[in-house]
Amino acid sequence: MTRASSFTEAEATVCTTAKMIKAEQDKSFWVGGGGTPLTSILLAQKHYVPNLTVVLEDGVIAPQPHIPLDPLMTFVSSKANYRAAAWTTMNTVCTHASLGLFDYGILESLQIDPYGNFNSSLLGGDYYHPGRRFGGAGGANEIASMCWRTILHTDQENRKFVKKVDFITSPGYLDGSPGARERAGLPAGSGPYRVITPEAVFGYDEETRYMKLLAISEWVEVNDVLEKMDFEPMVADKVERLEPPTEEELEVLRVYVDPRGQTIGSQKWINL
Amino acid sequence: MEVLDSGIGELFHVPDPDGHRAYLRENRSRALVEKVMTEQEAVSKFVSDGDYICYDCNMFMRGPSSLIREVIRQKKKELGIGGRFTYLPAILLASAGCANRIDIGYIGFGRILTQLQEKGVKFSEWSNSAITMRQLAGSLGIPFIPARFLGGTDAFRYSGAKLAKDPWTGKEVVLLPALNPDVGLVHVHQCDVYGNARIFGPSVSPVETVAASKKVIISTEEIIDNEYIRREPGKTTIPYYLVDAVVEAPFGAHPGEVAGVYVSDTEGIMEAAAACGDTSGAAMEQYLEKNIYSVASHQEYLEQRVGLEKLLSLKSRAKIKQGYS
Repeated sequence: MTRASSFTEAEATVCTTAKMIKAEQDKSFWVGGGGTPLTSILLAQKHYVPNLTVVLEDGVIAPQPHIPLDPLMTFVSSKANYRAAAWTTMNTVCTHASLGLFDYGILESLQIDPYGNFNSSLLGGDYYHPGRRFGGAGGANEIASMCWRTILHTDQENRKFVKKVDFITSPGYLDGSPGARERAGLPAGSGPYRVITPEAVFGYDEETRYMKLLAISEWVEVNDVLEKMDFEPMVADKVERLEPPTEEELEVLRVYVDPRGQTIGSQKWINL
Repeated sequence: MEVLDSGIGELFHVPDPDGHRAYLRENRSRALVEKVMTEQEAVSKFVSDGDYICYDCNMFMRGPSSLIREVIRQKKKELGIGGRFTYLPAILLASAGCANRIDIGYIGFGRILTQLQEKGVKFSEWSNSAITMRQLAGSLGIPFIPARFLGGTDAFRYSGAKLAKDPWTGKEVVLLPALNPDVGLVHVHQCDVYGNARIFGPSVSPVETVAASKKVIISTEEIIDNEYIRREPGKTTIPYYLVDAVVEAPFGAHPGEVAGVYVSDTEGIMEAAAACGDTSGAAMEQYLEKNIYSVASHQEYLEQRVGLEKLLSLKSRAKIKQGYS
């Protein structure tokens, strides 16, 4: 395995996630979002865990997608659904999540707050006169509600890590009080787990459920990360260093998973 | 049962199981009768102004695109939409002035969604599964279904859901109100003249959509003989008495894919996406004129707007056929 020295920010997020998936390879994953979440799954599947248990929102159970996928057709396409163990429907996957069969949900979001509540509905204004609308919850709400743990992708920017999101589309630890999720009817023991950006990985403090910085990438220091957040997270006693992408991971990404660079070809390049 | 909290979102459909039963008894034929008609007839007869519609899937995959275009062509008004996992159909219907209220599960193309809200289209907020579970309740003939998600969020706050205390466990649980759409539009791979339909592959919620809806139009890639249904009853996804009309619509999902039959038309999808992305509205107007108003039927659309060369190419590029028959 060779450490890569030149890669995009999106590739960093994807590779960090794929390594996490590899470490949890006997667990199940419900992925929502065709960008970095799905790309992370496809990389993990192609490179590390061919028999990964992953489900898609439209009822596809354990596909072996025919990569690369076409633009805009990352879900609901014959290429994405290829060689699945079973083809079902949206309600089947929802009810399997309700049964506690899915360990990790992987999602992306516009904004996230200190308790892991996140927003994919609107920015600015209010519900009836928003500054700008976005697609809505999609499957994110049920994924974040019912998977045992939620992994969120976002960018390391102030406008993404906010004290209070403009709209809580999907649940983290809600107001952070003990039992808040359960009082809202969500399954006991479920909750947000990690936030992954190109530069950092966050978890949540066990006692307070407040976001906590756990690890940072090689090309930043803790302050660089904290500067790009609108709230101050807790910081682990020992902040780990993240492994950068490997050359092998990048090859799989660039040759097989996303040769057109739809997801991984983000603007900013990192050169170590 | 103690209700602890309620969303403030407008309920565009109020649960009424007995009303739905009475409707079906009066209006849905239980006999094995032929129901084939043109899309023009089907939409004219079964889609009325003010109806709430659900469709399966969307304009990217196996959706009733030709039926949606006919609804717009007939200038239906004041429609409501069950917007789970949708991109183009909801946006086109609202942009064309056909729809005035949308239950939002996921509507791709946020910018134009903002504009539509500014123009007066009403939203209630849900999630994808919230709407498909509401359809499930509707398809079960029950007034609501409990769920273990949606609670605690602004999505709940701006929905029509409730939070209650479950009478058995004493724990909090979300209640989702049943959804019985006035109209269900579903595109399928195969269907006989009576409405016995087959869908191959995964799907959003076609069976729930059809079972829960009062008026159901199936568009089908091909009409097959009832004999084939009888030989393999296990393949029937939708039995005939859930259906009111059958429309023969080869390439009926265009520009979307029908798995195993033809691939999606990337050009056509990008054209539609561009129309949704143009904030001036000019591209949308042109798109509606070109693809809907200026052609009289699905056949004319295929002949004059898509063309034989493109259709043959979409068909021949559909190399993935396993499992779709």
